[in-house]
Amino acid sequence: MAECCISNKRYTYIHDNKWGSEAADMHHIVVRKSRTKGFLVYLSALLVLANAFHLFLVKDGSIAITFWTFGLNVVLVKLLLQKPVEKESVIVMPAFGVQLETHYASGKIIRRFVPIDRILKPVLLECVTPVTCYWSLSFIVRGEAKLMLVFKELRPPVKMLVPIWKALCAATGSEGSLDTLTDDGPTPGT
Amino acid sequence: MAERRRHRILMVSDFFYPNFGGVENHIYYLSQCLLKLGHKVVVMTHAYGNRSGVRYMTGGLKVYYVPWKPFLMQNTLPTFYGTLPIIRNILIRENISLVHGHQAFSTLCHEALMHARTMGYKVVFTDHSLYGFADVGSIHMNKVLQFTLADVSQAICVSHTSKENTVLRSGLPPAKVFVIPNAVDTAMFKPAPERPSVNEIVIVVISRLVYRKGADLLVEVIPEVCRIFPNVRFIVGGDGPKRVRLEEMREKHSLQDRVEMLGAVPHARVRSVLISGHIFLNSSLTEAFCIAILEAASCGLLTVSTRVLPDDMVVLAEPDPSDMVQAIKKAISILPEINAQAMHNRMKKLYNWHDVAKRTEIVYDRALKCANQSLLERLSRYLSCGAWAGKLFCVVMIIDFLFWRLLQLWQPAEDIEAVPDIVLSHGEDERNVAELKVSSEDHGLR
Repeated sequence: MAECCISNKRYTYIHDNKWGSEAADMHHIVVRKSRTKGFLVYLSALLVLANAFHLFLVKDGSIAITFWTFGLNVVLVKLLLQKPVEKESVIVMPAFGVQLETHYASGKIIRRFVPIDRILKPVLLECVTPVTCYWSLSFIVRGEAKLMLVFKELRPPVKMLVPIWKALCAATGSEGSLDTLTDDGPTPGT
Repeated sequence: MAERRRHRILMVSDFFYPNFGGVENHIYYLSQCLLKLGHKVVVMTHAYGNRSGVRYMTGGLKVYYVPWKPFLMQNTLPTFYGTLPIIRNILIRENISLVHGHQAFSTLCHEALMHARTMGYKVVFTDHSLYGFADVGSIHMNKVLQFTLADVSQAICVSHTSKENTVLRSGLPPAKVFVIPNAVDTAMFKPAPERPSVNEIVIVVISRLVYRKGADLLVEVIPEVCRIFPNVRFIVGGDGPKRVRLEEMREKHSLQDRVEMLGAVPHARVRSVLISGHIFLNSSLTEAFCIAILEAASCGLLTVSTRVLPDDMVVLAEPDPSDMVQAIKKAISILPEINAQAMHNRMKKLYNWHDVAKRTEIVYDRALKCANQSLLERLSRYLSCGAWAGKLFCVVMIIDFLFWRLLQLWQPAEDIEAVPDIVLSHGEDERNVAELKVSSEDHGLR
């Protein structure tokens, strides 16, 4: 019943091992709720609405502006505060395969199952975008040209990805160390 | 002797492999030699087609191919502040101590140096080319260079000519500029074990067939030399927009059997082409430093060149067809006295990448000793760049500083995880196996 936990500002990693690693090993990344962000968004929405009422009541503005402002506020609050993803889980069953789950705040759960013999190797890769660089955990899948992302929506930090990667390596039988680097150019002569 | 410090260097340029050229080679070889000296080197460039993301090259050289699309002549689109987030990210995650930019014509280099200075890193710039002063393009380029170099820690030029040119263009104090010549991989460029027979003299030309490399001069020189010397043959390697003119020249003078056009020659095959000849002809109009001549000399060829590099293994000529023909005549006459192996041995001692790396290390040590400066002190340097330009540069740097502060609030440095150092060890079966050397402070997991 081993449980271990790492957390940072955005995510919490929970390792649930209640049935023992041979049967099923569960790793969860849970999104933490941020109170300050919610407070700021509601405050600004309130201020905008108050301003619209002030325009209508004191300065004889049209009621349509107030309704539009209200509507806009609802849309913005929904966009900024709605946390679609609540949790993403990886359930490792060495005998069968790996189940990847995404739990949404609305209650919807999306599950993907990958049989163990289809996974060639789990890899930790650095992904570079025009504005940032982050670590991601993926599977090299037999017969597929593209890698399969383990965490589709979330970007947990590498200190949370490393134990999951090690558990996946152990389950799929791959070596848990960095792969060989291929020679990509000549070395200058001495 | 002072203890050598381990530097963590970020090389930035728009020009890197898989693109091929002098700057690319320079960055690669310098990085390899610095890695051998024990420093950490990371290269940053833009993505080339599908090649995007992180790649590792020989010796554990990590290359970031950042997915910014090139817009003109391999250069990234200059957005002034667009590259600040990714550069900050790379500098923090790789724990960089010094940023080394290459080539004045690279927009990514200028942006990286600007952002690195804003964030307080020490910066070194290497200029590889010569530029003019007269045309509109050069004037703008020189102003940009003046901006970047106003606040650089140290600068490196590849020759004294290049130093003169850079100092004049940018107004940088000459005391800040070091001259470190390029080198050549003498292990790769060895003379042929048996010299080709002197009955038929073969003149080799390998260069990009563009205006700057003097392809137009070749069009005039080749028919003249073929007319005067019936036993001379030309081998022309390389491709470019001027190739059409050379083909036309061949047709016009019926020189198909005396002038062989090889097309683009991959760098791995350059040596085999060089050793089939006796004389190397270089007709560049301008070069800060001509590696092609060194490669030819390392292979034991006598070189005829326009006045780009003073050297006693070279017969010099003005960039004028008749003068070049005279120089070729002189070269043919001294050809029997040339000892290829002796030339190669001299080159090996004189031009050596390990020597370049050691000298660059001295520049890095000097750069890191420069005092840290506050924003106000740095702004005063920019103000001296010109009446209007100075104020504009100051505004640009202030906005950059504000963006940086905003970015620090949006994405604090603690959220950017440091990358573990890669330690390469050679396995028994000659394959390099990398081990992750994870320091216990960064990752407390085992």
